[in-house]
Amino acid sequence: MSQLQQVKNTHYPLGYWQKVTLSILLIALIILPFADIEIVNFDPFLELTRMVDGLMTPDFFATEYLFQAIIQTVNFAILGVCLGLILGTPLALIYQHPIISGCCAFLRAIHEIFWALLFLQIFGLSPLTGILAITIPFAATFARVFHDIINQSSDSPLESIDSRADIISRFTYGKIAQVMPQLMAYTRYRFECALRSSAVLGFIGMPTLGFYMETAFRQGHYSEGAALLIIFIALIGTIRYWCPPKLLGVYLVIACVTLIDIPNVDSSLLVRFISQDILPSALANASRLAEVQWSSLYTWFSTLISEQAIPGALATITLALLALAVSHIVTLNAHAMASKHLWPTPLTWLGQLILLIGRSVPEYILAFIFLMLLGPSMLPAVIALAIHNGCVIAYLTVKQSNSIAPQQMQMSKLNQFNYHIMPSIYPNMMALMFYRFEIIVRETAVFGILGIMTLGFYIDSNFSEIRYSNALVLITCTALLNVAIDILSRRLLKLPKTSQTSC
Amino acid sequence: MNKMTKLFVLCALTLSVNVLVSINVSATTFTFTAIPDADESQLRTRFEKVALYLEKKLGVEVKYVPVKSYSAAVTAFKNNQVQLAWFGGLSGVQARRLVPGSKAIAQGYEDQFFKSYFIAHYSTGLAMSENFPDITQKTFTFGSKGSTSGRLMPQYYIEQHLKEKPQQAFKRVGFSGDHSRTIAQVQAGAYQVGAVNYTVWESALAAGKIDTNKVKVIWETPVYPDYQWTIRADVDAKFGKHFADKVQTALLNMDSPELLKSFPRSSFVKAENKDFQPVEDVAKQIGLID
Repeated sequence: MSQLQQVKNTHYPLGYWQKVTLSILLIALIILPFADIEIVNFDPFLELTRMVDGLMTPDFFATEYLFQAIIQTVNFAILGVCLGLILGTPLALIYQHPIISGCCAFLRAIHEIFWALLFLQIFGLSPLTGILAITIPFAATFARVFHDIINQSSDSPLESIDSRADIISRFTYGKIAQVMPQLMAYTRYRFECALRSSAVLGFIGMPTLGFYMETAFRQGHYSEGAALLIIFIALIGTIRYWCPPKLLGVYLVIACVTLIDIPNVDSSLLVRFISQDILPSALANASRLAEVQWSSLYTWFSTLISEQAIPGALATITLALLALAVSHIVTLNAHAMASKHLWPTPLTWLGQLILLIGRSVPEYILAFIFLMLLGPSMLPAVIALAIHNGCVIAYLTVKQSNSIAPQQMQMSKLNQFNYHIMPSIYPNMMALMFYRFEIIVRETAVFGILGIMTLGFYIDSNFSEIRYSNALVLITCTALLNVAIDILSRRLLKLPKTSQTSC
Repeated sequence: MNKMTKLFVLCALTLSVNVLVSINVSATTFTFTAIPDADESQLRTRFEKVALYLEKKLGVEVKYVPVKSYSAAVTAFKNNQVQLAWFGGLSGVQARRLVPGSKAIAQGYEDQFFKSYFIAHYSTGLAMSENFPDITQKTFTFGSKGSTSGRLMPQYYIEQHLKEKPQQAFKRVGFSGDHSRTIAQVQAGAYQVGAVNYTVWESALAAGKIDTNKVKVIWETPVYPDYQWTIRADVDAKFGKHFADKVQTALLNMDSPELLKSFPRSSFVKAENKDFQPVEDVAKQIGLID
């Protein structure tokens, strides 16, 4: 009796992951009063009824050149991933060098849309713009993740290889061979991401599904929009059926052949862009170094930093931290919804479908729907980011947790889930969450419609005002912010060394 | 065997798709783009008809390139990927500053006296008035950031009357990205006040998409010049003497209602660069161009 009392009264110190989780939530609570959050809602129902009507009556024939759009969406994704692999894999081998990892973090930090807007100035609306906009951030991501995966592999196979073998054979057979399935699985997952990026590039004019999807939603043609969304979700949900790894080569050939013609690259445009367009006016107007008006250059730079970069960075960080906390909650619920340890198989399919929809619908569209419901503030952005990222992380963790065998013990399903499954996947789930934080930061760019002035909002404004020099400075600020977050999170967190998946 | 069949089918598919998709752009193709200010559905299908019309009148191959935004159109024009463009007032000014010698050759009849409407949700209690309405500390949404009727002119009149930048004058400022979004958002009360292109408002009203009990026009701006056709200076050298004049004539003579509906304008009239000086002055004044 007294022993039982003692057990009850014992205080266990908080575990590491409990502390991390509580700090995420605590930080969110602390910044909540400073965040720009309110609910203004008068009568969203007229527009919402139209949306629901549209969803109920998808019109698959409203979109012109639909087949081409689907083909181009796939083409950009395939070529982007392949080029990303070619560039990223060698970088993975030297990623431990701080300069390489710093550069990669810098490149990753820039949203595909902004890469595309930059390339647009040089290549115009050529497929090259879209492909490179996917290739560069993807190469930098491959470099990081492949490096992590290879690092985590065991050294023991190396010992059994003849010591006279050359270094390439030793590395290939001793290291790469054992992590090959993981590398393949990750590449497959990135292909899904590339499809999403490819669609999103349509928002700025690439001829992919996103081109028509954005127009349809922007103009309130919800039947057409719903049809495009359904096609897009189906495309992503069935990747493993239409693109098994064996057929990848075939698709690559198809992609090269069916790509819309690449117009000749005009090198003078590149020269003009670098020597004229991206220079601030104080520099562009001066022909010699001596003529540069340093004071006006300084005024330009300090105004830009104080009026756009700093307020933009603060809004970006606030939004990203709130979104991280809500993403955590969404992830936990979404994971439970699709876990086979809690539900019978048919119900987990339903859960998987919800995860598929949640991660496929572009945030921009989610944000618009919540804007209608809740009015403009940071709230719709937080919810949109949380749903999207929560579903991505849940999708990856469900894959992992479903492969765990249930313990042969007399335990209710709920106890089994809470005390066996969750503890074993939690470190990995949190690792994914922090990988994803980087992505949340750059995705905050798309919420100008909500009147939230993030860094991305200012970058977009400068592009539309044809002020490339300003845009470039702000893009650099975003990238540096991302590098700083990356370094900080690596310092502060002891992320699990055995993480199986990454995103 | 199975694999071989699959491969074969795929190859056949590839070839057929290739024939479908490939569009040959020869060096002598005259390319144009257009920013639609209203209905964007079936955009390519409709503007390819305009391309056909121009091809017949000009005797050269004409191609239409779809763009998503004002800035994309300006970029394409700057980079000589399009030689002719249907720009908004502001984007036209931006483009002509970037390409010296380029000129405005035609504008829509309506564009000589274009205007924007300020619209408000009924809960604000605001009603139509001749004077600038009291909208300080309301939430406000513009259209696209690069739009003349949805951003530039409304912002100019706001700064004129309220003596403050919109960011300070309003509780919140949004950019809906599109005139029909602006209407939808103000109608839903998500934003209290917004600024729209008057033709988009009128056509949405005619199509029964607006509930006037929920949202109404509270003020109209004075008139200003807006959309216009702008052509690059180097077309004469590339396509032959007086090519720009031929294009101008073809545009001015466009009288098929079906073609004009794409813009949507009743007809095109002559225009010159100096017609758009007011737009440039306003853009400079509010700091959108240096």
